[in-house]
Amino acid sequence: MTDSVSMEKKNAVERAREIISDYHGPKLRIMEVCGTHTHEIFRQGIRSLLSEDITLISGPGCPVCVTPVSYIDEAVMLALEKGCTILTFGDLVRVPGSEKSLQTARGEGASVKVVYSPQDAEDYARTHPEEETVFLSVGFETTTPSSCIALKQAISDGISNFSLLCANKTMPAAYRAMMAATDAYLYPGHVCAITGLSDCRQMLELGMSGVVAGFTAPELLTALAVIVQKSKEGKPFLVNCYPRVVTEEGSPQARALVAEYMEPCDSMWRGIGLMADSGMDLKEAYAAYDARKKYALPRIEGREAKGCRCGEVLQGACIPQECPLFGKRCTPEHPVGACMVSSEGACSAFYLYQRRD
Amino acid sequence: MDLKTKTVTLAHGAGGKQTSELIREVFKAHFSNPYFTADDAAVLPGTDGRIAMTTDGFIVSPRFFRGGNIGKLSICGTVNDLACMGAQPLYMTCAFVIEEGFPMDQLEQIVSSMEATAKEAGVKIVAGDTKVAGKGQVDGVFITTTGVGRILDHADPSGSHAKPGDSVLVTGDIGRHGCCILLERDEYGIEAQVESDCAPLWNNVKAVLEQVPDVHVIRDATRGGVGTVLYEITEESGVGIELDREAIPVAPSVRGVTDMLGLDPMYLACEGTLVMIVPEEETQKVLEILRGMEHTQNAALIGHVTEAEKGRVVMRTAIGTRTYLPQPGNELLPRIC
Amino acid sequence: MCVGLSARVVRVSEGSALVDASGARRQVSAQLVPDLEPGDYVMVHAGAAIAKITEDDTKQADDLMEELLV
Repeated sequence: MTDSVSMEKKNAVERAREIISDYHGPKLRIMEVCGTHTHEIFRQGIRSLLSEDITLISGPGCPVCVTPVSYIDEAVMLALEKGCTILTFGDLVRVPGSEKSLQTARGEGASVKVVYSPQDAEDYARTHPEEETVFLSVGFETTTPSSCIALKQAISDGISNFSLLCANKTMPAAYRAMMAATDAYLYPGHVCAITGLSDCRQMLELGMSGVVAGFTAPELLTALAVIVQKSKEGKPFLVNCYPRVVTEEGSPQARALVAEYMEPCDSMWRGIGLMADSGMDLKEAYAAYDARKKYALPRIEGREAKGCRCGEVLQGACIPQECPLFGKRCTPEHPVGACMVSSEGACSAFYLYQRRD
Repeated sequence: MDLKTKTVTLAHGAGGKQTSELIREVFKAHFSNPYFTADDAAVLPGTDGRIAMTTDGFIVSPRFFRGGNIGKLSICGTVNDLACMGAQPLYMTCAFVIEEGFPMDQLEQIVSSMEATAKEAGVKIVAGDTKVAGKGQVDGVFITTTGVGRILDHADPSGSHAKPGDSVLVTGDIGRHGCCILLERDEYGIEAQVESDCAPLWNNVKAVLEQVPDVHVIRDATRGGVGTVLYEITEESGVGIELDREAIPVAPSVRGVTDMLGLDPMYLACEGTLVMIVPEEETQKVLEILRGMEHTQNAALIGHVTEAEKGRVVMRTAIGTRTYLPQPGNELLPRIC
Repeated sequence: MCVGLSARVVRVSEGSALVDASGARRQVSAQLVPDLEPGDYVMVHAGAAIAKITEDDTKQADDLMEELLV
């Protein structure tokens, strides 16, 4: 992401900035659903521009944060007890499980490799036939198609040492679950690049307002300004503020690919609980590539750390500073809760970018 | 080079005929100077004034990278550590731990670039040691260098000398070494033309100190990068630092790579880029000197020291807001999902 | 949640594309976006092009604010 704002841009951006700074009126709660939005909003210092009447809530859109403890436990078990090579996005390496993280497991001899993409994981599996490999398939609608591309490749390559440990999630159930916590959503731009606008339109029908937002400073400022202005009109609205990337129909190719290999399932969200039809799992026909079935993993009940309020933070019910562990027992170096471990988590962003005294 | 074997063997470390041969054909051939003798220690002339001394171990994978190799790095690291204290590097020693089976031609290449780099920095290598470890006990070659330098009379830079109002400079664009190594390891399938900034900077530091003796802080931004060094300085000097994010020089290709992986170049290692903190009124003079010299053409003013926000590094963003630069912490992991 | 990077398509071959972001190049999947051509700009996420895009956010900001403030 480039940080420079050109001169022409400054006019529109200046006006957007004035709108969000000068707002006075009924309290306006805006939830940024996406973790990358959370991260960029902090990195750009955008919170400091908001009028006192606007509250930003960091929602449940960081896959690392909403992935339950038991998922990490499953990955650690695959690595240490089943001898699998774990291939994962860097984001998951330091997330604490009930007893240990993948990083700790690596110190105990587990093979944990960080990859840039699921296709790289498949590539690793193909070139290391002597290893049993498992890719940690997490992420939302944006990321899931990449897992399916890798699976498709594995099938066409005819390799049998590659499987997925799925915790893929979909947003609509979360949009509905969080409605009461906010007046408008800042919808995740890159999820919408895949899904198109239909999910947001359904929310609009339920009376929920929102805008689809991009990730640069001008994009975030203009999206917030649109929310402020439209809210004044007093009726639900939906505006695509990221049209350079997001179209009405999204990517039908991506959705078709996912539908070929996966189907909706109920899914456990850390901090929110089990939500119907909020995840994607491999279809029965692809059981051979499902790590849970392939290695007959037992059902694991993860243990959340005592005192951790990540769940409430994710729901906007409290801010990180209100958690007794925040900044004391729970820091980015020694995270207790998931919102501290990912730099996209609300706790980590607060800790790293905001004044704490 | 006229060695009979093509690889280093345990016999080269056993202290006998082959050890002498290795020292003569490889090390002495390159490090030749009157102080480098067969005696047990180098005997050096006395020097007036304060001396600075430092030591550093080098393990880098891969050993050869765009813009340098472990040998060049081992000289730059120690020369730059001395330079940061305002000390003219005079003498160095180097200790090698070499893995059995290490290719002799690679060793020759490493030693040869050590010679060239030492020459550029004007430092003499006066003693050395070679050990050969069994296959698998070390990864190729590890080098430890120790250096002694004479501190210029009026110079007194230290991490604890930053004062509110001072200007914060970097002597070049940041994060290139770390980015280069990341690319050379080829773990993420990314290609980019990024060369390590690895360079000995004594001549540059000397040029600055001769005209501006009152430089308050000089630090090389090696492991942990510029971000880590700035946090260290705020602690040691009991000050805050405010940076202008847009003024921080980053090569476009480095920016491309870090954006792809969700990393921040502020935490990537530099091996030929220093942080300098100077009195505000000397800023332009120091920049002019640096920009006129090899290795430091991209020197830039990136911010200033503040009384407020002690112990913190504040970023002024492109849209005029202020946020903290996150405290450096963990292993750098790509952020994707 | 979904770190994206805008990049220019350099070459396209059978389901994949070589993309360039300020000189950093990588092979990414082109299976999710049909009909890519060299010179197109795409948003890249987790090793796949997820959308064909226009590169510049300037006009977008101007248009949005224009529309908002009429």
